[in-house]
This record gives sequence, structure tokens and C-alpha cells, in this order.
Amino acid sequence: MSSVNSEYLIKMIQVKADFEAEIYPGIKGDITIRIPAEQIISVVEIFLGNFDYCHLSAITVQKRAFDIENIEVFYNFWAGRSLSLMVELIGPSKQLPSLISLIPGADFYEREAAEMFGIEFTGREETPHLLLPDDWDEGPPFLSSEENDG
Amino acid sequence: MDKISIPIGPQHPLLKEPLSMKIDISGEKVLGGSLRLGYVHRGIERLAQQRTYVQDLYLIERICGICSHIHTTTFCRAVEALLGIEIPPRAQYIRGLMCELERIHSHLLWLGIIAKHIGLDTIFMHTWHDREMSLDIMEEISGGRVLHAVNQIGGVRIDLDQEHYEMIRRILKKLHSQVEGLLDVFETEPAAMARTKGVAPLSTELIKSYGVVGPIARASGVNFDIRRDDPYPPYDQIDFKVITHSGGDAWARTFVRVEETRESVNLCESILDNMPDGEVSVRVPRRVPEGEVIVRSEAPRGELFYYLRSDGSDKPARLKVRTPTLSALSLLPIQLSAINVADIPVVLAGVDLCVACADR
Amino acid sequence: MIRSLFYLFVFPGFIFQIICGLTFEWIDRKLLARFQRRVGPPWYQPLADLIKLFSKEDLLPERANDAVAALLPLISLSAVLTAGLYIPVAGFSPYSFEGDLIVVIFLMSVPTLAYYLAGIVSVGIYSILGGGRSLLQFFSYEVPLLITLSGPAILGGSWSVAEIMHAQVELGPFIIYQPLGFILAVVGLIGKLKRDPLDIPKATSEVVGGSLTEFSGVKLGIWHLVMNVQAVVGIFLLVDLYFGWTKLANPLTSVSIFIIESLIIAFTLSVTSAIFARLRIDQLAGLGWKVLVPLALLQLGFVILMGV
Repeated sequence: MSSVNSEYLIKMIQVKADFEAEIYPGIKGDITIRIPAEQIISVVEIFLGNFDYCHLSAITVQKRAFDIENIEVFYNFWAGRSLSLMVELIGPSKQLPSLISLIPGADFYEREAAEMFGIEFTGREETPHLLLPDDWDEGPPFLSSEENDG
Repeated sequence: MDKISIPIGPQHPLLKEPLSMKIDISGEKVLGGSLRLGYVHRGIERLAQQRTYVQDLYLIERICGICSHIHTTTFCRAVEALLGIEIPPRAQYIRGLMCELERIHSHLLWLGIIAKHIGLDTIFMHTWHDREMSLDIMEEISGGRVLHAVNQIGGVRIDLDQEHYEMIRRILKKLHSQVEGLLDVFETEPAAMARTKGVAPLSTELIKSYGVVGPIARASGVNFDIRRDDPYPPYDQIDFKVITHSGGDAWARTFVRVEETRESVNLCESILDNMPDGEVSVRVPRRVPEGEVIVRSEAPRGELFYYLRSDGSDKPARLKVRTPTLSALSLLPIQLSAINVADIPVVLAGVDLCVACADR
Repeated sequence: MIRSLFYLFVFPGFIFQIICGLTFEWIDRKLLARFQRRVGPPWYQPLADLIKLFSKEDLLPERANDAVAALLPLISLSAVLTAGLYIPVAGFSPYSFEGDLIVVIFLMSVPTLAYYLAGIVSVGIYSILGGGRSLLQFFSYEVPLLITLSGPAILGGSWSVAEIMHAQVELGPFIIYQPLGFILAVVGLIGKLKRDPLDIPKATSEVVGGSLTEFSGVKLGIWHLVMNVQAVVGIFLLVDLYFGWTKLANPLTSVSIFIIESLIIAFTLSVTSAIFARLRIDQLAGLGWKVLVPLALLQLGFVILMGV
């Protein structure tokens, strides 16, 4: 088990990627570091280089509330302890650089985020829907506040 | 020979659940394949936001039939973390017991499937007969063979008495000898070994870069098991072995799973031996305070990841579930290149598909 | 005339073969079930399944050739039934002639070729794959089988099955002189019948139903009959070639011995299918040419030396 803590991580990012990342204190059981969207690739590279076993558990996407435009994207890692990178997509444009060149396993997670939230991942080819039917035309399901009874 | 494309699925004798694959073959060599999920997508995450936490328990249990208990356990742990409560130790041990029984059930089921696919029908029948034993225990304890509804937020719904202990120990003893016999078969039977040794080897780097977890990863030398690395009760109080193997081929994956079954039988006995007395549940308020939490568990197929956010109401604001089969499936097209057509069933079975989990 | 009709249609012809075929299927399924801790079907199950198949809708893909698809099972059935006429059952064979062993072997190969053609003609992907595999398998087991079956012929001094059988009344059962040949013949029979461990063309998990994936109804029912009658004819052939006919004073005892010998072979077939896993096609080809053929030649060599 590594003795990773938040100060160590912030310092490492400061040294290697030369910007000041913040800690997002909200998530229990996890160290979450908030970074701007452009720095995703460089920070993930730092993580992959620094930790023996750096495993991408999931890409979690959410909206704080239906009427807020911003979307929060968490890259949940496991590197000896639970570690996440948080990126906030502000406003109507929803673009993120794709991680599949660094972590091929991110493919399915990105596809799911793309079809569920309408995020566009740059640097990868467009693939058909992963979970939704091919002829789905009602838009990303998580962006609509429609409730169903079922 | 020309390249032809054979469809496997959505309905196929190989698949228990619908999944669509197109496999390109030339003669007896497989060139590659592509995958399409979504046939069992029910939108669980979105549905969870529209139901109260208690209603969600019923929903989460039905994400998957084979790993239903671990899903509810993880969900309850998440909610209990947000509520800031600790459930009684006896409840934790009972949850652990059901988790291990479920692991035994899942692995034995899987063993039968792979035996059937390589033509060892007899082993299939015997394995599923043994699986009935673990189902019997679960039915005696909880009333259900596959969906147990044992968990509730704040603890468990059932309790065990002396009669239960004796029954469980009796059946576990029989299971023990059966699993030893199965291990023997898979390590010595020449045809089984010929069909699985050296098939679809996966290197450690490949496993790590695709984020594959569970027995598949452990069979390629990746020593990662949530029960030991991010322990939750009762695993932090009981000794057990994490099984790994460095071979990375189909035989290694079989070996890891059969050994894990044996280890689970031992774990069940340890849990029974160390079961603390006391209450089995605590009362919890209906509304969950605001907060976010991440919880991980070791499902039979690997790391199960839950993210839960509450906004202070009685319904979750966001529930994210990442099941282990999803990452295993992303590796499948790679596994399918450069093998023989006759190895397709072995490779598919080795992934231990639980498409309902992957689709949610 | 009446007598010929009786031989052709009742015994040892049509009706007798079919009853034996259904009985064999029952014995096989029941034994397999018991090995797998199951109960197994009741005695009338194979007949019930046949009747059920005959009553089902007969459907083929649009591009498939209906006429050829209907002819193939019928031709196969007549081939195996005819082969059965030349194989003495309980010492009795009304139509044997010199050289009928060759005819029998040829007729028994007709269903394999028909099976391959059935796969091509039904046009589905799995059918074509299964058909191709059956042809590949044919080349792996047929050659050692032919070499092996020449053994009893040389020892018995004749190419007529009935003559070979009678020769054993004096010389004793040939299995004593050619135990290796017997084992190789059983392996060859397993390959011909496409049973586990050599059921590669029909491997459900790989090619769904093989050549017969698209067949249903009456055509499939007749294919089932072909498989069963082929098994029975194969078993009787092996009994005649390797156990011969034990002529005892009491004809009932002689017949019983014949039945027991057939049951021994049937039992062997069931046990091997229960125990072994399915081979891959390349493993079978390797087995056929690197192991079976040399052993068969070795056995043949011994037989020739013994004859001298």
C-alpha cells in the first residue's frame, strides 16, 4: 500500500506539469483532484509514470442539477488507494481529449459517457452506440429530466 | 480460403445472455471481431434517480442474477457511509458469508459452462449438481436461490441460528471434497488441458492497459483483489489467500477460479467460526444527508465500483455503477484475433460474461 | 418373393434396423445420463422424439435447394439400410456375397458425403462450416479405418463379412489376434458416427448444429434415423469382424452372446463419449495421421505375418 496523500499528489503535479491543481474535498473514501480539461492527458501521464499499478476504474459523469449547464467528469483511478481526477465542463461546449492512446481500456467508458451525456471526445474515431439502440433519437438520456414510471 | 463473417448472437448456444459479435474467420483461423452491447440495457442508473433508496435496493439487486448480492452490499455500504453509520459486526459477517457463497455459486456455474463448451458434458453436469449445494444453503438462509434480498440499509434482514450453522457446515464439507475433485480434473485431464493450455494468452501489460480486473487479471499475474487491497469487513478481520497465476492463458484462468472456489469454501467456514453475536441491523433515517462517496467491492468477476451522490432528499442524485464485465468485454476483440475457430468457445467462456452487469 | 420382401423390410432389413437404431439411442442416452448423475429418458423416448420430429414444420432458408435437401437424407438412409443387409445379424445373412465388405464400407461412407452436401445445400454459415469440418474429419479417420478393417479380411481369407464371421468359428474370435485392430476400429467408428470426442462437425458451441443446423421436420427426423441405423450397422459389423459367431448347441445362447457382444461395443461408445472432451480439428488430424495410421499399418503387418 502506498503512502500517497493529497499534498504529495499536488506537489507532484506542480513539479511535473507546472500548474496548481486543487483538492476537491467532497467524495468520501477518495482523494479527488480538480484539474482543467486541457491538462487531463499530462496528469494521467504523470500518474501512469509514477504508480506501479495505476488502474482506471471508471469514468463517472454527472450533472449537479438538471437546470445547470455544467457537467462534472470524474476519472476514477485506483493506485494503491482510491484516487480521482475531476474535470468540469463549463457551458454548452462539451469536449474532452480522449484517453485511449494512453489507456486503451478507457474506450468503453468514454463511449458510454458520450452517448449518455453528449460529451465529445476528441482524438478518437466515432464509434456506434455502446448501450443505446442504434436508432435512438431522443438525445443523451441523462440530460433530459423526463421521468418514467417503469 | 476467403474471409467470412460469422455472427455470434444475439442468440447463440454459447451465450447465456444476448450479446452481438461479428467474428471474421478464414478457414479455421480467427482474424478478429467486433462487439455490440446494449441488448439488456435497462437504464438502471437513470431509473435509480427516480426511486427512493429503499426502492433502489430492489432495483440494484436485479442488475444481475449471478452477482445480485454484491451489488446490494456495495450499494448499502455506500448509503451507510453517507449516513455516517456503522452496521453491527454480525450483519457484516452475514453479508460476507452470502458474498462468498455467491462467489462459489458463480464460479461453479462458470466451470460447468466452460466444461460444456469443450465437450466435457459430464463435468458440466457434475459441476452444476455441486452448484445446487451452494444454492441450497442460500435458500435455507434467505428464502431465495438466486435473488436473496438479504441486505437492507442498516444491516441484513436475516439471522442465523444453531441449526443453520450445522446445516451450512455439513454442506460445506461436502462441497469441499467436490471442489478438490474438480481441481484434480482440470489439472490432470489431458483433453481439458489440451483445449485450454496456451489458448489466448494475455500479458500483464495488456491486462493493465485495458483495466481488466478479477480472476482474468489475477491469472495474468496482476495481484489485485479488493478484499485485500481496500478491505471492508469482514475481510479485514479474516485471513485468506489471494490466488494468482502467471500463465495468462485459458488454463490459468480456469485454475485461478477453481482455486478461488476452494478458498471461498474455507472463507465461509472461517466466517462461521468467527461470527460475532449481536444485532443484525440498525434503524436508519429515510433521508440521506448530502454527500458523495465511492465504494469498491470484489464481485465474483472482479472490482465493482459504485459512486453515489445524495442531495439531501430520499432519492439518490446520481448513482454510477461500473461492473467488472465491462472492462473484460473491451479486451474481447483482441483476445479473438489469432486463435482457432475451435477456441472461440473457450475464450468466450474464459471472459465469464455477465452481460446484464455490463449493460445495466 | 415373399421371403425377399420379408428379408428386405422386416428382418434383417428395414424394421429390424430401425428398431435396433432406436434401442441403441435409448441405451446410449440412458447410460450417458447415469454417468452424469441424471435419471435419463424412458425406453420410448427415441420413438417419441422421432414422431415429434415428423410432425414439425419442415423449413429451409430461401436460397437452399429443397429437392436436393430432401433427397440427401433419403439416399443416406437407403445406403445404411442396404449396408445392414450384408452384415450378418446373429449369424444370419441372406444376401452376403464375396466382396461385400468393400460394398459395406463404401455404403457406410455415403452418409458422410451426404452430410457434407447437406451443409452446402442449406446455405447457412454454420451449415457450411460444419459440412467442411465433417469432410476434414472424414480424411482423418477413414484411412486408418480402412487399413484396420483389412486385417480381419486377410485373417479370414475372404472379403465377405459372412465368411470372415464363419472363419472365426474355427480360428476363434479375431479380437484375440488383433486387439489393437479392434481398438482402432472402435476409434474409427466413433469418428464415422461423429460422436464425442470426435463430434467436431456437430460441436454445438462452435457451429450450432453443423450441417443440419437449418434442417427441421421430416428431413431432420430421417437424418436422426440415419445416425442411429449407422451406429447399429457399425456395431454389428465390428461384432462380426472381431467376435465372430459362436455357434453353440442352443441357438438362443448363441443369439444372446451376439447381443451381449453388441452391448459391449455400445457401452464402450457411451463411456468414451461421457469421459472425453472434444478434440480440435487440428488435434484430430494430428492424431489420425501420426498415431492411428502407423498403428493400423503395424497391426496389418502382424496380420500378414501371421497369415504366412
